[in-house]
Formats: sequence, C-alpha cells, structure tokens
Amino acid sequence: MRNKKKNSKTLSKVNRLLEIPQEVSSNIPKLTIIGFEKMLIENYKAILEYQEFYIRISTYIGILNINGFQLNLNEMTTDDLLITGKIEGIDFEAITDE
Amino acid sequence: MYLKILFGIIFGYVTIEIEGYFIERFMNLCNNQRIFLWNLKRTHSTRMLVNIGMNDFKKLKPIARKTKCRVKIQEKKGVPHLLHRYQKRKLFFLLALIIFLSILLLSNFIWNIEITGNENIPTQEIQKLLEENNFKIGKCKIGIKTKEVTEQVRLERNDIAWIGIEIKGTNAIVKIVEANLKPEIIPEDEYCNIIATKDAMIVKISAQNGTSVVKEGDIVTKGSILIGGWLEGKYTGTRYVHANGEVQAKVWYSEKAQVPLNQIKKAKTGAKENKYSVKINNFEINLSKRLSKFQKYDTIDTSKKLKLFSDFYLPIEIHQRTFEEYEEQEILYTAEEAKNIAIQEAKQKLDEKIQEKQSVINEKFYTKQTAQGVEVEVIYEVLETISTKEKIVF
Repeated sequence: MRNKKKNSKTLSKVNRLLEIPQEVSSNIPKLTIIGFEKMLIENYKAILEYQEFYIRISTYIGILNINGFQLNLNEMTTDDLLITGKIEGIDFEAITDE
Repeated sequence: MYLKILFGIIFGYVTIEIEGYFIERFMNLCNNQRIFLWNLKRTHSTRMLVNIGMNDFKKLKPIARKTKCRVKIQEKKGVPHLLHRYQKRKLFFLLALIIFLSILLLSNFIWNIEITGNENIPTQEIQKLLEENNFKIGKCKIGIKTKEVTEQVRLERNDIAWIGIEIKGTNAIVKIVEANLKPEIIPEDEYCNIIATKDAMIVKISAQNGTSVVKEGDIVTKGSILIGGWLEGKYTGTRYVHANGEVQAKVWYSEKAQVPLNQIKKAKTGAKENKYSVKINNFEINLSKRLSKFQKYDTIDTSKKLKLFSDFYLPIEIHQRTFEEYEEQEILYTAEEAKNIAIQEAKQKLDEKIQEKQSVINEKFYTKQTAQGVEVEVIYEVLETISTKEKIVF
C-alpha cells in the first residue's frame, strides 16, 4: 500500500514537470461553468440520479450535486457531460479517507 | 461530440422515450457500452426523452431488458428517414431535378447584352455588328470566343478604338471606346494649302505663310483654296511652302418653320390604363385584353427583363403597355401669335446647330402669310474661322 502511494507520487512529479493537465493525468474531475446555464463535467464516473431539478453525479473524488430548473443533459459520453438549464447551486460531497 | 451528432444526422437518428424506475442505471449502462446519447430531457419522474443514433439503437434492447425500462420511438430524424419519407413523392423529386438542371442549362446562355460607352454610334448598329460575328442573345456561353469577336468588330469598324466583352453570369457587358476621327495633322515640313470648310463670305484673311488667293468680301464655296501653299518670287520662281494663316468669314445658317393658324392639340385627361404581358424570347402571352377602353389614346411600351440574382438574366420579359387618354382641343392663333411661335421654333433648331452663340452677328426674319398659316425663315449670320489644311498632291 505504501509502495503504491510512493509510486503515484513520483508519477505526479513527472507529470508536473511535463506540464500535463491534471484532468488528463489523473482521475480528478474538471468542472467548467459557462454563465449560469451551461456546465461541462469531465472525468465523471456515473450518474446517480437525474431529475429535471436535481442531478447527482458520482466522480472519483466524491459526489457532485447540481440544483436548478429544466436541467437537460445535452451531450453524454463516457468522459464528458454537458448540462444545460438554469443552474441554481452546486455542492460537493468529498470522500474522506479513513 | 459535435462530430458524433453530425454522424447521427447523416446516418439517421431517433428520439426515443424511456420509461422505467431505473433510468439512471440505464444511462450508466449506455455509457459503459460507449453508446452516445444526446439531448436527454427528463419529462417526468419515470420518463425521459433521448436522442440516439440508428446504429446504437439496436444495442439498447438488452440494456432495456436489464433495467426493466420500456423504449418507445418518438420520432425518426436524419437524412435516411427524410429520404424514406419522400420516396413516394417521385414527381416532386423529378421536378426538383428538372428545375436544378434547367437553371444549370440556362445559366450557360447569354440572355442580355448591355452596350455601354457609345456616344455617336447607335446601339442597334453595334448589336447588328455583334450579331454578324455570332454574338447574340440566346447564344451558348461556352462556344463564344470574345477575343475573336472583338477583333472582328475592330477590323470592320474604324471608329471603334477599343471594344471589350465581359460576360457576367448570363449578362454580357460590351464596353466601347469610340475613336474620334481627328483631322489629319500635316507635319510642318510638308506642303499644304488652306481650304474652306463651309460656304461663306470672307471677312478677314491673314496669311502668315503662303499666298492668299481670295480677298476680303469674296464669297467662297466649300473646298475652295483660301491660302495657297506656294510663294512666287521674281527670281526664285514658284516655291512650295507649308501654308499657315487665319481666315474669318461670315457663314449663314437658315431654318424654316411653318405654323398653321388653327391647330389641334392633344391634352391629357390623366386617365391611365396598364396592361401587362409576358414575353418569352419572341413569344408573347397577353395577360389581359389588348384593346383599350379609351377612344383616343397614346400607347407607351416599357419592358423589363427578369433576373434571378444581380447578374442572372432570364429570357423572360414583362411587357407593360400604358394607355393614356387624351382629348383633342382646337386652338386658333392670330397671325402675330403664329409668327412668334414659328420664329421660336426656327431659333431653337438653329441653336442646336451653332455651338458658339456669342459669335452670332446678325439675325434676319422673313415671314410669309399663307392661307393655312404663317411661314417663317430665320437666318443667322455667324462669324467663324473656316480654315483647314489640305496636303498638296503633285
């Protein structure tokens, strides 16, 4: 377990040296919000819940909740998710290491 | 992602409604199998609208069974479905094809010739000239070699300095630069006479070089020698020179006008009537009766060519014929009035002839009363220089 952690640490050092973007080199999601009506989520894991007013998305570092009205998933691929609609609030539920 | 949507449009896509309790699971399963979904819309807590490509649609069946969802096709969209829908309407396609082909075909012909730049040469003459050289309305654009046509026209006409044909769409613009025929300039070292250009009476003659043949007060005719290009000396004999000098003479211009005492004049009543017809090449279709309801009328014809865009002229003309009603009014002039009108008419005609108004010295009127009206002759006496040079031919 310790060995694995050390390994990933050296890898992240190399990545920082080569200036590879974080969302490419790791599983950390990237959220891009354009105005109040468009949101692009990269590196997501799965959709836990989808309603017109509420979207719950699980990512590798936690869960993402989006509140709003008339929320549509405009495009959905394995990596990216484009949400349009009136976004009112975003909150996160980070996974805490035990 | 846009590329995927574009593929969907090209190869066809369907809007489906998914109904069930585990829609999120359905979406995640689609994601895992790399099925691209777009425009997801939750319409109800148990229903969702999804766009999906035709190829992926077949893969949905096991997923739907697994998640216990019901899939219903709502709409079929994209190019293949559109074509399928119009398959029965063969005539529509045929006509669309015919229209497309005819536009393609018609755009290869010349439907309008515009002639610009000519001032003295009448447009019809140029048109005729172009027609003789195989350049006319209705000709195929491909077969025309504008260079050959222009060269031919230039060869035939002396008074065209330059001619250019520019084909823009179905419109051919013929540009002409006229050559103004200048009098031949005789070089200083050649011998020449000075001759008269008009019938006139000499007022002043001053020979700078050469021998003056006529005196002041002489009446000369057109073409006669005024200053001869020779000098005679006692010892040298006759010696030819380049004549030079100025000759001023009185020239008479006369114009006659006749005005009858009782005239019939047209007066427009203001009533108008428009009739239209469509003209295709030489074939005319009347849209209404040709005859006018008026008793006495003037007809005015105007035609307008149709064009698609700014340059694509079609071989269709819209012809407008306007009838304007008029009434005949009889007017009786007194002899004095008729005379004044006649003088004015004659003067107007003379003014068009004479360029320099200030050189008019004298005006004369001769009036003659006849049974019908008044006849007037107006004579202008004008001071002009009437000399030109002419080469001496031995």
